[in-house]
Amino acid sequence: MPETTDVAELREKLSRAAQLLFFRHHLQPGAKAWELRRALGRDYEQILKLLDAELEKLGLMVKRVSEGEEGSESDRYFITLRGHPKLADARTFGWRVDDMAMLTVAMAHVLSKGGKAPLKEVERILQEKFPRWRVESTIDRFIRRGYLSEDDQGVLYLGWRALAEVDQRTLLGLLLGKEKSEGAEAEREEANEEEKKMEEQPDRGR
Amino acid sequence: MPREHQELLQRIVELCDAVRKSGLDPFDVEVREFFDRLRELLPKLKTNEELYLDVQAVLGLADVIFQQGEWIKHKSSLLYLDPLLITLKLYALPARDLAEVLVRSWHPIIDLESLSLPAIREGLDYWRNLPALDERFKELGVTEVMTGEIARRELAKMGILSDEDLTALLDRTWRELKEAVGEKEFISYWKFIQGKSFEETVFRAWLVSFLVSYGYATLDINPLEEEINLKPLPKPQVLENVATFSVPIAISREEWLKRRRKHA
Repeated sequence: MPETTDVAELREKLSRAAQLLFFRHHLQPGAKAWELRRALGRDYEQILKLLDAELEKLGLMVKRVSEGEEGSESDRYFITLRGHPKLADARTFGWRVDDMAMLTVAMAHVLSKGGKAPLKEVERILQEKFPRWRVESTIDRFIRRGYLSEDDQGVLYLGWRALAEVDQRTLLGLLLGKEKSEGAEAEREEANEEEKKMEEQPDRGR
Repeated sequence: MPREHQELLQRIVELCDAVRKSGLDPFDVEVREFFDRLRELLPKLKTNEELYLDVQAVLGLADVIFQQGEWIKHKSSLLYLDPLLITLKLYALPARDLAEVLVRSWHPIIDLESLSLPAIREGLDYWRNLPALDERFKELGVTEVMTGEIARRELAKMGILSDEDLTALLDRTWRELKEAVGEKEFISYWKFIQGKSFEETVFRAWLVSFLVSYGYATLDINPLEEEINLKPLPKPQVLENVATFSVPIAISREEWLKRRRKHA
């Protein structure tokens, strides 16, 4: 009988952990370590491991992100995709190819400069490839959504969302290993045409 | 302070700022050499301004040392890749390839919007304070009042209109100012605005502010001597190529009484 009680308790904690991580309680999604400790008890990390194992079956994972010292109580836990989406999928959930390219350029430049770079410098690089009016508004959007952050000196950093969602080492590795794909321009034109069609139907995928 | 000393201090401060703000390689800064120069300079610094610049320079160099530490950490991490190589790739690859790089290193967060306790409380408060439908669309009770006439003198009494048109009033004050100045070029501001009562003084100061704003006169302020002189212009004009700024001049009853006693 005690074993059954333990299992029931564990299941309850597991579902509580899933609720805390799936449902947004604050401005940012996920939950902080101290919140999880308070809700699940001292062994919250074990519960999260169990949850991670359950989520693996669905292609999801529990991810821990440290903003300062590792192992701090302010570390935040999120649920993210275990793998990565396909380019076509990303477009259906509201991302334009150009936006994704701009985010790659901004993040890669910031990372190559040791984690920070002047906003003006990032804008200048982006303006080599994209129209100026789009660059400014898109960077603003990335800042609002937490992919980038800007301090009062006009210096850009990676934002909380980029730290949680993007595997920085993979990003830089892929970038360096990437060869210009054949017919990329043709594909780009095709993609632009498709995007234009999507824009004409604002209810779809936005 | 000799000019070259000041320049050296400022150069150090600016260089340290550039390292912090624009991501310059902190190892390009000769920290030790600059500290040696600052040590030589310190006994020669005398004023607060010089010492303040020195403090800024020392703080800046300390920050550069911190940046050097961070730079070493970054270079020794697996994330370090030649920035030039990265930049070249960013320029060379088309947008679609760049997007693919992001997508393949991307693990989007999954979350669901939900109502939080504070949001529910806020909603409840809103609902409780919301007036009933019939109250919300109730027409405003308006009593129709017929139009009528009111004399200009009555409006002046109520303070809505002045007895005199403002332009005419300004013109009269301008002529008065020119007469008061006479042969001289200017008159003391305080002397000109001084009236028989405090209210009249404030009123004249208000008129003078219009005279100056509309180009009928200029104010000449000597902050060291605490003098303000008023100079009428021969004809109203908008001064071009002249830096203009607002000057707040406080007039208190005590100040007015003091001046009145002085000139009595």
